[in-house]
Order: sequence, then structure tokens, then C-alpha cells
Amino acid sequence: MTTMHSLSSDDFLDLASARRRPNRAQLAGILLLVVIALFALFGPWLVDIDPARQQLERFLEAPSLAHPLGFDQLGRSMLARLAHGTQLSLALALVSVLSAALPGTLLGLLAAWRGGWFERVLAAIADAVLALPGLLLVLLLAAFAPGGFWPLYVGISLALWVEYFRVVRAASRILLASPHVEAARLLGFGPVHIVRRHLLPELLPRLFTLMRFGFAGAVLAMSALGFVGVGLQPPTPELGVMMIEMLPYYGEAPWLVGAPVLLLFLTLLGLLLLSPERDA
Amino acid sequence: MTTSTVPAWGRYGRLLAQRLLQAALVALLVGTLCFFMTRMLPGDMAYRIAAGRYGYDMVTSAAADAVRLELGLDRPWLAALGDWWGRLLRLDLGVSQVTAQPVAREIAWQLGPTLRLSLLAMTFSLLIGPTLGVLAGLKPGGLLDRATLAVSTVLRALPSFLLGLVLVLVFSVKLGVLPAAGHDDHGSIMLPALTLALGMAAVSCRVARDAMVQVRGSAYFAFALTKGLNLRQALLRHGLRNVAAPVVAYLGVQLVYLVEGVVLVETIFAWPGIGHALVHAIFGRDVPMIQGTALVLGLMFVLFNALVDAACAFIDPRRRA
Amino acid sequence: MLAAAGASLLPWHPAGADDRGGAHTHASEFTATAADVLTVVGPWEMTGLDPSRSGYMFQRMEVVETLLDVNDRGRLQPRLATAWQVSGDGLEWRFTLRGNRRYHDGTPVTPDSVLACLRRAHARPGVLGLAGVQGITQERGAIVFRLQRPFAPLPWLLAHYSVQILAPASFDARGNVVRIVGTGPFRIASISLPQQFDVVRFDGYGGLAIPGRVRRARYISVARSETRTLLVQSGQADLAFSLDPPSIRALQRSPKAALVTAMLPRTTFIKLNSGHPFLADVRVRRAIALCVERQGIARALLRDADLGATQLFPPSMTGWHDPLLSPLRTDPQEARRLLGDAGWQPGRDGIRLRNGQRLELTLATFVDRPELPVIAAALQEEMRQIGIAVRVVIGNSSDIPAGHRSGSLQMGLVARNFGNVPDPVATLLQDFGPDGGDWGAMGWRNGEVPALLARMASGGPAASTAPAASTASPSAAGLAAGRADRARVAAVLQSELPVIPVVWYRQVCATSRRIAGASIDPFERSYRISHLQWT
Repeated sequence: MTTMHSLSSDDFLDLASARRRPNRAQLAGILLLVVIALFALFGPWLVDIDPARQQLERFLEAPSLAHPLGFDQLGRSMLARLAHGTQLSLALALVSVLSAALPGTLLGLLAAWRGGWFERVLAAIADAVLALPGLLLVLLLAAFAPGGFWPLYVGISLALWVEYFRVVRAASRILLASPHVEAARLLGFGPVHIVRRHLLPELLPRLFTLMRFGFAGAVLAMSALGFVGVGLQPPTPELGVMMIEMLPYYGEAPWLVGAPVLLLFLTLLGLLLLSPERDA
Repeated sequence: MTTSTVPAWGRYGRLLAQRLLQAALVALLVGTLCFFMTRMLPGDMAYRIAAGRYGYDMVTSAAADAVRLELGLDRPWLAALGDWWGRLLRLDLGVSQVTAQPVAREIAWQLGPTLRLSLLAMTFSLLIGPTLGVLAGLKPGGLLDRATLAVSTVLRALPSFLLGLVLVLVFSVKLGVLPAAGHDDHGSIMLPALTLALGMAAVSCRVARDAMVQVRGSAYFAFALTKGLNLRQALLRHGLRNVAAPVVAYLGVQLVYLVEGVVLVETIFAWPGIGHALVHAIFGRDVPMIQGTALVLGLMFVLFNALVDAACAFIDPRRRA
Repeated sequence: MLAAAGASLLPWHPAGADDRGGAHTHASEFTATAADVLTVVGPWEMTGLDPSRSGYMFQRMEVVETLLDVNDRGRLQPRLATAWQVSGDGLEWRFTLRGNRRYHDGTPVTPDSVLACLRRAHARPGVLGLAGVQGITQERGAIVFRLQRPFAPLPWLLAHYSVQILAPASFDARGNVVRIVGTGPFRIASISLPQQFDVVRFDGYGGLAIPGRVRRARYISVARSETRTLLVQSGQADLAFSLDPPSIRALQRSPKAALVTAMLPRTTFIKLNSGHPFLADVRVRRAIALCVERQGIARALLRDADLGATQLFPPSMTGWHDPLLSPLRTDPQEARRLLGDAGWQPGRDGIRLRNGQRLELTLATFVDRPELPVIAAALQEEMRQIGIAVRVVIGNSSDIPAGHRSGSLQMGLVARNFGNVPDPVATLLQDFGPDGGDWGAMGWRNGEVPALLARMASGGPAASTAPAASTASPSAAGLAAGRADRARVAAVLQSELPVIPVVWYRQVCATSRRIAGASIDPFERSYRISHLQWT
């Protein structure tokens, strides 16, 4: 949640920026994300070891050819845990972000289109939710049901949708006032067509930027929750919780805490590299 | 946020009203969540509260019933919610379930350390971030520019507790110049503040750099140079204010990082502030403390945002949000 | 704005020595980076000044004393009381007080002040309730306890921290503790609840001779064990307790720290709700005990294979640990067979079913002790291998008593210090008495063990492990009877398994190279800072 409220409406003064050719950094970012996505999707199936199965006599075993990441303190295969953990963390983050983006966008469009008191009420509600920093909200929700999924998911989505609402609303207002849309309306085109032809192409880049940061923020939020102690309950493998669990072993088995950290770092790096030179 | 042509006091007044509304909504939100937490947490809440006050050995069902009556836990939730809000309005934050001390008093003690830490972290980040950003922006594509890009990307992708751990390892264990944790008289505020500051500086550095690049390429800056001012004078007279505008606006965004980071950093470094208290309260299911600390953190956030708004409006007469 | 923020750089630290303990003076002369302040670090926080809350911290830092002390073997030593006797019928105990002692505020330690303190402790939650005290009075400079029935472990109860002796000036009009004015070799310099307090040598101490030269000390509470380790590694802490095993490995290689270890009479065990329909069957309990890999857990998580608990009482508890008792072993095959016998058949996903019900249980534990959540995770997997689905719930330590009393606890992973009161009989009475205990049996219907414990408690000093200093020497028959009783209790607990032992405990304390002479008190009553020397 580090840069959740990252854009202000001024960024829309730059509407004319067309899609540029991706530069080298962006290509690297895409490559990184693709590799990680493949690992998350097919890793558990490929590795094929039960992440919960423990062999206490093999605790903290060093990496070997057969087990490239060795074993953790309970003798569980670190590679299997990493694969399942990546899948879980990224899936949770993705679902949270999407379930924030869709309602946020829809409401933003609606607000900009209808205007009037409807828009004002929605804007006030959005401001209210923004009042509480996301982590706090998630912490409070997690205190309800420690060890469960839904507080993380609901909390992160709730904290994120406001951004999409604000950005979409601000952009839509400007766009709806532009001559193209005026003309389209006069010509009799319906709202769906106008949204599709005129609004979405301009909105999507901004939305993607937001989604990138939301994604990064969601993963970091889960690790923060694990740190505070209200994360998912054992033996669920999850990147953030693994970082906390392996932290005491940083002296004798640094690869154990290094693996989830590196994976998270690469994911975030890929996301950050994707943003254009003027990153916000 | 549209530009407006109302007079200055009207401008500030509107901002103030907005932030006040936000503060009220924070209080409402936190209070309501904590109310439902009391009812929905597993286990008998009245028993827990009574045990917290008198000790587990002394608790009888009579004591638990007395607590139940006192807090209205057996009433229908709508009426009890109204009660809860009423208590909140009167600033009656209740008594901690763990220490049996008034929550307001505990928070008053903890507020000082948190404020000191936040202000110091903010200062450090302002000293490090924008300075480096401006310098990097003066020569886009140069060594400093690339270096700050790399370092800031790394810092943004690192969770704050890991950053804190690395700093402790370097400064406390290897170099031995700063204390690792605790609440000492001298140096123990440095590492927590630095951890927070570096995370925030990573972002403000790039924002400042982008703004500097934009300013440098702008017409008025070129004009100032042709007028005969050297680089330093042009910068000081024309450039900085325009660079400052987005940087200060971005401060509002960074406040989120600050408030969230305070919670984590205080726990790592055992800094006895409100973030630390919140984490402990969540562990202990101490709902009055959870409510109190979350409330204070939320209100602090609103207050800092209001200050940033005022600074923004002051710096930029066009009142860019 | 920058200017305002810059002002925060001004030294605000005079406010750092917050004084929230009440009426104590500011520690303006205290800078912990000063070379002569001993820094002690631990995970425990002070939740209040009342003896029953955090009184153990003040006892450990030697600020308060009790009537009696114990040595490392559990033998009673005089402290504020010089001698004690019991009447023939065991109903009256007499404790003679030491003269010429003073409280930290200079007032003398009078029998009246001690009496007031004891009466207050008796009226509040604490261990005195076990003894069935009818009345406490004062006769010619001696404190007299009148009991309802004979209770041999009474003197050991008086060594417990909740019965610490405080000056009358410590209490306000309503009887609440507002400051800590004790009798120990150190007095409070300042308290910052809940995180730290400072103590300084009390020059008017007239008690035991103190060899050490530490004059000022500070206790800091730090919740995370990595941070505690880092404090030792950076030289900021001189004594650090409750370290987790990986930290111990790291500190073994550090030049700044030395490690001191001692076996404590503490066992980590699974507390079972024997009244639960699934767990009421002793075969199920035995099956769970058979699937626990004790040596594996001890070796992997505690780095010491010897700590695998073959029975409830560790070897350091001489008299209670029975080397002849057949040890608990690990045999998953046998465990599965027992579950099958009890009517639980394996389901499709490996979890057992009986009459359509899944064998699902909740294991509650807490993070106050860093090794517990990891052990819980290990146990969860081991139980899954024999077909029990376990949900681990990590909360804080007060969840266990709450769950016990509300009846909702199913399984709890706890660590119990049988040296809580130096005579284990008192602790065991609390845990395995007729109704069980917060940290002991729950819903376990067994009349034999409570009866044996009651007999040991009342059967005279011979029945306890550590003979009292000044009573008639016990008869050989009495000693043998005591041994037989203890062996029987251990045997019944081993076979019926109302609690399932997992591992024992070795306390590790890290000391900096600045100090010498550190030792660990097996009963965790004192950090012995008055015995430390600077190197």
C-alpha cells in the first residue's frame, strides 16, 4: 500500500500521450512478470511435492540438486512452499485488485455521467473511506477473524476501490466535456458506445498503472499482516508469512528468507519497470 | 479538485471543512468497526473484560454479568451502537482490558514518541529525497539520475521491516554506532526514523526529479537563463517553487506510507508509540485500546493531510490539488 | 514547514524519561548508554504495579523480597523471615521476622506492615488461596498463619512473587499499589510502564551480603526475539532472556556475548479437553501422544534432542521425574490402530470419520513464547498424518484460561513452569486438582490424582520434595510414602494423559562480556544482578 493514492487529477492534463513503443526497461519488466506468472500458475503442478509434509530430521537442510531450495525449519520443501505461496499471494492480490477496480471504475463512470447529487454523495463516501490508511483498515478487519482469508481480501479491496473511483471520475468528467463526445452524443450514439470508443482507450492506461501499484501494495500488506501476527494460519504457505517465519533463520539459512523476498522483489520490480519514464 | 476563484480564506475554509468531515467519518468508521468487533470476536467478551480488570483468578460469573450490564452487551445491537457512538462523542474511550488503565491516558503517553518519530522521519525524508531528486533532475540521464532510479526502485520494493533489519545489522551490529532498539535518551530514534525516511524518500526523490526535469525544460526557466541569471539564481528564484508544488502534493500520498510504516517500524524497534500499542492491542484483543489507537492514528493522518493541503494552497496560488 | 519539522530535531529527549509509574522521580541522571548501567532485556511487559500482575518483574530485578527464599535445589532459605515452625497438628505456622530491616523509603520493616501486606495478598488473587488460610495474625514479632487444614507447602507459597512485601507507603487509600517501595538490594529509580524501569542500588540494605558491584540497572521489554538478539550482538544489552534457538546459534559465534544455560522445571504440553466427546476416549488421547515426534521436534526446533519429553516432569525435578516410568514413544502405526479401535475410520481425504463426523479439533496457542507457534505447526502436520484435522489458532496467553473456563477450549499448546511455586505440589494442586486448572487438566474425571495431591499437601513435610529447614527430621516411612505417592501421580498422568507432554525446556541467557558471574535461577525468581561483577 505504499503508493496507493498515487495519482491526482492533474495527470490527466497529459491526455495526449499516445502509446509509446515499450522501451528496454519495460520489456524487461514484462519478461519478469511473465516468468513469475508462469511459476505461479504451473509451479505447484511441476514441483509436485506436498508443501505441508514435514520431515523433521531434514530441518534446515541446505539446497541440493534434488531440492534446489532446501528445507525449512520443519523439514518442508522450500521450493514447494514457494510455488504454492506465490500462487496464493499473487492470486489473492489479483483478485483483490480486480474486485476493487471493477466497482470503482463502474461507479466512477456512473458518477461522471450522471453528475449532480448522485456524484456528490459518492464522492463524499469515497473521501470517507480514504480517511483511514489501508493497512489500518485491514488490521482492524483481520482482528475480527484472525487466520482467515476474507479480512485480507475485503480490507484490501475496500481500501483500493476509492482510487479507481476518483481517477475514473476525474478523467471521465474531462473527457465527457470534450468535443468528440459532444458530437457523438448529438449524433445519437448511446452511452455504451461512447464509453467504449472514447473513454476506455484513455482510461485503460491509467487504470493499469493503478492496478500495478494496487497489486504491489496488496502483497506488501499481506506481509505486513503476517509480521503483526494476524496473517493466515499455519500451514498455509504465503509469501508474506514465509518471510516472517524464516526471518529468525537469516543467520544460518539466509536462502530461506531470501527466496520469498527475492520473488516479491522481482514481482514488484517487474511492475515498477512497466510504468513509463515519468513514474508516479 | 477544480481550480477556484474564491478568496484565500474561503479556500482554506473549504479545505478545513472537508478535513473536519473526514475526521468525523474516521471516528465513525473506527468506532463502528470496533463495536462489531466486541460482539463478533470469539469467546465471551464480558468475561474477558472482567478477567482483564480483576485477574483470571478472581473472575466470577457475577463479575462478568456486571460488566455485561455496564457495557450493554446484552442489548439489541442497534441500541448498543447508539450508546457506543454516544460514548465516543463524549471522548470516553473506556478502560484497557489488559492494564485496566484509562485508554485516553495510555494514548496520551504514547502519542509523544510517535509524533517525534513521525516528524523526524518526515524531516529526514524531505532532506534526503527532494534534494537528491533536484540534483538528479539537473542532469537527466546522468550518473546520479541512474543511481537514484536504481536505489529508489529497490527501496520501494522492499518491505519496511526488512529495511529496518538491514539497517540494524549495518549500523548496530557491524558498526556499533547506533542503538538497535528501545527508547533511550539519545540515539535510539535514529534507526526507526531512518527506516521510515528512506522508504518515503525513495518516492519523493523521483517525484522531485521529474518535476525538476519539467521545470528545466520549461519556457520561463529558459527565459530566466537568457535574462542573465546563472543556474543557481534561476533555480532559487524560479525553479524551486515550481518543483516544490508536486513534491508537497505528494507528501499527502506519502503520509499513507508514514502511518502504515509507523505501525511496523515501532514494532520492530520496540519504540513505545501508538503503532506499537495498536499491534499489542490486536494481539491481546483489547478492543478499547484497538479503538483508541486506530482512532488516533486515523486522526493524525487526517491532520497531517490538512497541513499538507494548507501548504499546497500556500505554495501554489493556482491551488493545484 | 521545513522549519517546523526541523524544530523536531531539537533535543526533546528530556521528555524521554517518561514517568508513568506514579510518584517516582525523573531518571535525569540515567543515560542507558552510560557504561555502568546494566541493561536487562526480556519479552515481558509490565501491565500494572499490583503484585499479582507484574510483581515477578520487580522480584527478578531484586527490588522486592518475600518472607522466604529458595536455593537452586528448591530448599527454603530465610529472607525476611529468619525461622519458621509448624505446630503439631499442622494448623498453625509461625514465622519469625528479621529485625533491623528497612524499606526503601527509610521506614523500618515492622511486623504490622508485613501483616498488612500479607492480609492484602490473601484477599486478592494469588497463591495463598490454595492453602486454606483461616487467618493471619501477629504475635510478639512473629507472623502466625492459621489454616483450615494441614498444608505442608505453605512456606513455599510465601516465596511466590504475589506475596511480596511492600511498604505501607506503596498503597493509596483504596489499597491500590501506586509505587513500589520494597526491601531489596535495589530500589526503583523510575518506571515507564509498560516498557522499562530503572533501578539503583539501595545503600541502606541490611540483608544478605552482596558481592556484586552493579549499582544501576535497567529492564527493557522487547517483544521480538530477533530484536533481543540484535541488542545483545550490538552490545546494547547485558542480559537477555527468552531467546529463540536460531538466535542462540548466532550468539554462539558472536564475540560480544556469552551464553549461560540451565534446565528449568518447565514442560511444553498439549492441554486436552477431556470432556470433549472426541477426546473423552483415552484411546484417542493416547493416539495423539503416539503421533508426536518428540525428539524430532526437540532437535529441529529447540536444537537439543535431549529435550524430548518422555514424561511430564523433566529430569531436573528430582523426586518427581521417575526414570523407571515407561517413556512416551512415537509410533504412528499404533496411533492409527488405536483410532481405528475407537471407531474412527479413515475418510477419503485422509481425515477420520465416525458416524459421519470428521475428527476435527482446534489447537490454541500463543506467541508469548516464540517456539510455541512453530511446535503447533509441527504437531498439526503430525496429527494430520494419523487422520486428525487440526486448526491452529494463534492468540495470546489469556485465551487459554478463557477457553478453559468457558469450556470452549479443545486443545491448547502451553508451557507450564512447575517451579512456579518452588514446591511442585502447590502448582500441581492448581493444575490437577478436583476441577482441573487453567493450565492443567480440563474435564478429566479422575479421583485418584487429586486425592494423592491433597494427601501430599497435608501429609506433613516429609511428603514434599524439599525438606523444610527447621522441623523435626522426617521418618523413613514418611519419606517412602511420599516417594510412592509421587511415583503414582506421575504414572497416572503418563497413562491417562489429560495433558500430553511434548518437550522440556532449557533456559538460555545471553550475557555480554562486560559482566561476569551470571547464573540462572531455575525458579525464575531473580536475575541475580546483585551478584554480577563488571569485567
